[in-house]
Amino acid sequence: MEEKYGTSISKGLSSARAAEILARDGPNSLTPPKATPEIVKFLKQMVGGFSILLWIGAAFSWISFGIQFAQGAESPFDNLYLGVVLALVVILTGIFAYYQEAKSTNIMASFSKMIPQQALVIRDAEKKELPADQLVVGDIVEIKGGDRIPADIRLIFTQGCKVDNSSLTGESEPQSRSCDFTHENPLETRNIAFYSTTCVEGTATGIVINTGDRTIIGRIASLASGVGNGKTPIAIEIEHFVYLVAGVAISIGVLFFIISVSMRYKILDSIIFLIGIIVANVPEGLLATVTVSLSLTAKRMAKKNCLVKNLEAVETLGSTSIICSDKTGTLTQNRMTVAHLWFDDQIYSADTSEDQTSKYPFDQSSQTWTALSKIVTLCNRAEFRPGQENLPVMKRVVVGDASETALLKFAEVVLGDVMDIRARNKKVAEIPFNSTNKFQLSIHETDDRNDKRFLLVMKGAPERILERCSTIMINGKEEPLDSEKAEAFQTAYMELGGMGERVLGFCHLYLPENEFPDTYPFDTDSMNFPTSNLCFVGLLSMIDPPRSTVPDAVSKCRSAGIKVIMVTGDHPITAKAIAKSVGIISATSETVEDMAKRLNVPVERVDRRQATAAVVNGMELKDMSLQQLDEVLCNHSEIVFARTSPQQKLIIVEGCQRQGAVVAVTGDGVNDSPALKKADIGIAMGIAGSDAAKNAADMVLLDDNFASIVTGVEEGRLIFDNLKKTIAYTLTKNIAELCPFLIYIIASIPMPIGTITILFIDLGTDIIPSVALAYEKAESDIMNRRPRNKSKDRLVNEQLAVYSYLHIGIMQSVGAFVTYFTVYAEQGFLPTTLLGVRVNWESNAINDFEDSYGQEWTKYQRTYLQWTGYTAFFVSITIQQVADLIIRKTRRNSIFQQGLFRTSFLTPRFQYWFVAVPFAILIWVYDEVRKLFIRRYPGSK
Amino acid sequence: PSPALPRSRARSGGGERGHEGEAEDPNSEEEEETKQAMGSKTWRELAGDLKLFLWNREERTCMGRTATSWGLILLFYFVFYTCLAGMFAFCMYVMLLTLSPYTPTYRDRVSPPGVMIRPYLHGFTIAFNVSKRSTWQPYVDSMHRFLAAYDDKVQEEKNIECVAGRYFVQGGHEGEEKKACRFKRSLLQSCSGLGDPTFGYSRGQPCVLLKMNRIIGYRPGAGVPVSVDCKVQKGNESDLRSVDFYPGNGTFDLMYYPYYGKITHVNYTSPLVAMHFTDVKRNNLVPIQCSLKGEGIINDVNNDRFLGRILFTLSIGK
Repeated sequence: MEEKYGTSISKGLSSARAAEILARDGPNSLTPPKATPEIVKFLKQMVGGFSILLWIGAAFSWISFGIQFAQGAESPFDNLYLGVVLALVVILTGIFAYYQEAKSTNIMASFSKMIPQQALVIRDAEKKELPADQLVVGDIVEIKGGDRIPADIRLIFTQGCKVDNSSLTGESEPQSRSCDFTHENPLETRNIAFYSTTCVEGTATGIVINTGDRTIIGRIASLASGVGNGKTPIAIEIEHFVYLVAGVAISIGVLFFIISVSMRYKILDSIIFLIGIIVANVPEGLLATVTVSLSLTAKRMAKKNCLVKNLEAVETLGSTSIICSDKTGTLTQNRMTVAHLWFDDQIYSADTSEDQTSKYPFDQSSQTWTALSKIVTLCNRAEFRPGQENLPVMKRVVVGDASETALLKFAEVVLGDVMDIRARNKKVAEIPFNSTNKFQLSIHETDDRNDKRFLLVMKGAPERILERCSTIMINGKEEPLDSEKAEAFQTAYMELGGMGERVLGFCHLYLPENEFPDTYPFDTDSMNFPTSNLCFVGLLSMIDPPRSTVPDAVSKCRSAGIKVIMVTGDHPITAKAIAKSVGIISATSETVEDMAKRLNVPVERVDRRQATAAVVNGMELKDMSLQQLDEVLCNHSEIVFARTSPQQKLIIVEGCQRQGAVVAVTGDGVNDSPALKKADIGIAMGIAGSDAAKNAADMVLLDDNFASIVTGVEEGRLIFDNLKKTIAYTLTKNIAELCPFLIYIIASIPMPIGTITILFIDLGTDIIPSVALAYEKAESDIMNRRPRNKSKDRLVNEQLAVYSYLHIGIMQSVGAFVTYFTVYAEQGFLPTTLLGVRVNWESNAINDFEDSYGQEWTKYQRTYLQWTGYTAFFVSITIQQVADLIIRKTRRNSIFQQGLFRTSFLTPRFQYWFVAVPFAILIWVYDEVRKLFIRRYPGSK
Repeated sequence: PSPALPRSRARSGGGERGHEGEAEDPNSEEEEETKQAMGSKTWRELAGDLKLFLWNREERTCMGRTATSWGLILLFYFVFYTCLAGMFAFCMYVMLLTLSPYTPTYRDRVSPPGVMIRPYLHGFTIAFNVSKRSTWQPYVDSMHRFLAAYDDKVQEEKNIECVAGRYFVQGGHEGEEKKACRFKRSLLQSCSGLGDPTFGYSRGQPCVLLKMNRIIGYRPGAGVPVSVDCKVQKGNESDLRSVDFYPGNGTFDLMYYPYYGKITHVNYTSPLVAMHFTDVKRNNLVPIQCSLKGEGIINDVNNDRFLGRILFTLSIGK
């Protein structure tokens, strides 16, 4: 070994040699997935979405400027400026979107850099603390309980070493590690510890055999990056929207280009109209608004412990229809907790909530409890780490395995200072738990000064414990253990076991004083003390209890039409019990097995379709064909996959996606990363999750809590609703911006609104209300609707477009035109005079243009009036957008149900504010009527 | 039945129809192949879809709607837009009711007055060759046409003689017809076209008429008549050696103001100032700016070169 890796076990590598290898192999860290170069990302923002259309507009402006300039027309610079403004708009929105994206990426980057890892290395015959990424092959490292393994290590010395490979395999059961070679497969053999797993207890020394990307984890992580990742639903929606609007813009533009050419307009003028139509149609501010809304929501979600890596994932969560959730840590608290006690022939339940708020509901007056509590306290090797006296018991760190920890915490909570009790009952002998005995025994002096007897306490597998007992304690009195009592024990044991709980039996014996005097030398090897005919005291059962918020969250999912599937490596019984307690399997539904039991028929004869729930074992899943899996996923609404390997998770995810579902997957291990990537939205655990999982995921749950996902779903749905409102709001005024052009071309009236003014509306006054809509609160039924159907519930559908364009949009245009005509009429041009005046109106030579009253106008005076018209048109669009904003606040509810809101505008001082008010009111009333009909007759087309 | 059903079917028809067609259509396999090769629908399928969309025989739908559905939709839009048009008309009607037929509500955009010249053909360059009649005849015709309304007979017939030197303010009801003052063509003397029907163009001494834009109620000069002055704009001052102004010394007499609008002041004829360019450098472009001078007249706005002044170019050839 030393030779192979060119190292010395006692002295380690020399620093010089280590530096050499480091230079050759590179640092010991996973290469992050290849990032797109920043400039490419930036350019992508510049050409994505509507940008192309605007670039075309800008190009046209410059071309027409070029032509006009060459012809020496009077004021050709207008078009130059317009082109510059359009280009600026594209560039600025591009920069903005890029900045938003970069910001959200940065959150992630800082996240992964949070914990710099250190490793204890022997180099130059000295122990050194080095950053883990400096490790090289051949380094001798020492690890101890609680450390993360810094690289793949071949162990050469171990002492009670156990590792938790959960980040690799998903199994959180600690596995012991030794120096012995036990298996051909490096993953199975016991003498290798893997990078990124944790050492739970004991110490070990080993030689680094692989670093960085060459470690097992590194290889899996690079595999995961090969799994394809489709477009997010919102990206698809936005693309659809862009196509729709671009289609409308281009077809109207081209149509009117043809019309204007055939109406004998000059080609140059027609091109300028075309630009105007494009600009009017393209909601320039919208993409920025969408980005802002998404990042605002992402921020809000981060506050609720959902860290979103990819902005678009915010919405994906909202359209989720299936959540494949881990059990351990996500649905449960990830710590064993005493759930039930059985003594005095009765089952009591203990408090399993996170903060131990409920009072102890079981009877503590019984003598049996006193005896039991003593055994629980004394027959336990687990200890609190010192210096945590101020922490709540449940949060303290304990040295010891999961069950002992659970017992210790239980005792500490119920009895008080356990350490003190132990000190008062000095331990004189102990046999630790081992797999052959299946019990743990210790002998103590008692704290009762009058009682000089030793107390022998024992705990272990209940059936083994019962074998060693001849009596049983009932209400503090020892009674002979007859068959009736044994039956009662069996029933209780089965019941607790059936709840998926880990059951331990407890018994004790007071050693007779005459046989075992003070000085009796207890010898644990020869066992010179009785280990049978003990007195059985009771049972305690433990479980990793569900988080208290989860049942509520699951029922919320259920009412929101989201199917929750539990995928766990745990035992089916435990999995089912947890599923039942959190509501993934509801109280009334049955599995095929349950039905068989109830009907008392063999499992095969039960109609599988009748069972709403299913618990699928990993072994069964392995033998299933894809069709069978589809059938299971289709036929059962409540599914638990137990004993699954993380590879099977990927199969399950793909199965769900075949059903057309949007699948969210939670995961923490490295080997979850393919499933996380494959899922429409991968959710990694922030606390328990490995970096690889976090990298593969779209979202990180900072508190590992399932309930946070549900909050996320709500936010996601809200953002979809709100984006829909924003878009509806934005689209409406497009018509009011477009109509002036069309009427200008057809009726030859003075231009009602200028291109720059349109840009000003789109990018100026309209952005704030659009963003305000993103802040809109959820409508009452948001979590009672089914998840949206990807193919039917589009962000922009025909109804929305028709309603925005042909109903509200037309009303707005009419309103704006009333204002326009009012302005001109009050200045002397009656509506009838305006029709067909375009050519003379725009002629630079005519400076005595006569109005309806006989007054004469110069060109500039007319232009000035035209600008006044622009402002009035602009103002009336704005004022009607207020009404639009109000109606868009809700999709179905009446405004009176939602409550009005406060958005302030910067208003230019102008009397024409009020001209369009009747139309604003009309818009509102009209929409209220529409909503009334929708509520009255839901579902009609 | 819901009209949306056939529509969605027609739209997603590609896949569905592919399946339905398989049994009947012997070519379906072939189509399937091309479909796979192209990775999407074939043109033929697209055309089929389009045809189905336009007219679905089975469902009797056109563009995804049955006749009843189309009828209802069109009826709805007809009623909707009629109501909207009604509301538009109503609003316009109410708005027009608020307007006075005699005076516009605001006159802030139209004053102070702009200036125009005659003859006016296309632009502000008056270019002709004295020797070539055809080059100046259009100008002369334009002048005659314009001055026809100022014929002494016409003026005597329609308008009254007013007291010169003061505003002709007419009280009474707003809607009463207002009298207009005579502005006889003969006042323009040698530029009247009476003595010299060519307005001096035949001699290379062209007349140009200057007219101040009409503004209702406007009283130019605040009691002192507005006068006109011409000079060379950005060029050699000596190019323009002498200009004669008629009537008077090139002033707009106060009696022609204020103007009361075309409804009541029917026969109003704008007063004119004729500028007789008797000695202008020949064979040269001479840019000339003529501006109004008087109280309240603005003639130095950069953007508006016709506000209180006018720029034109004289180019007189032999």
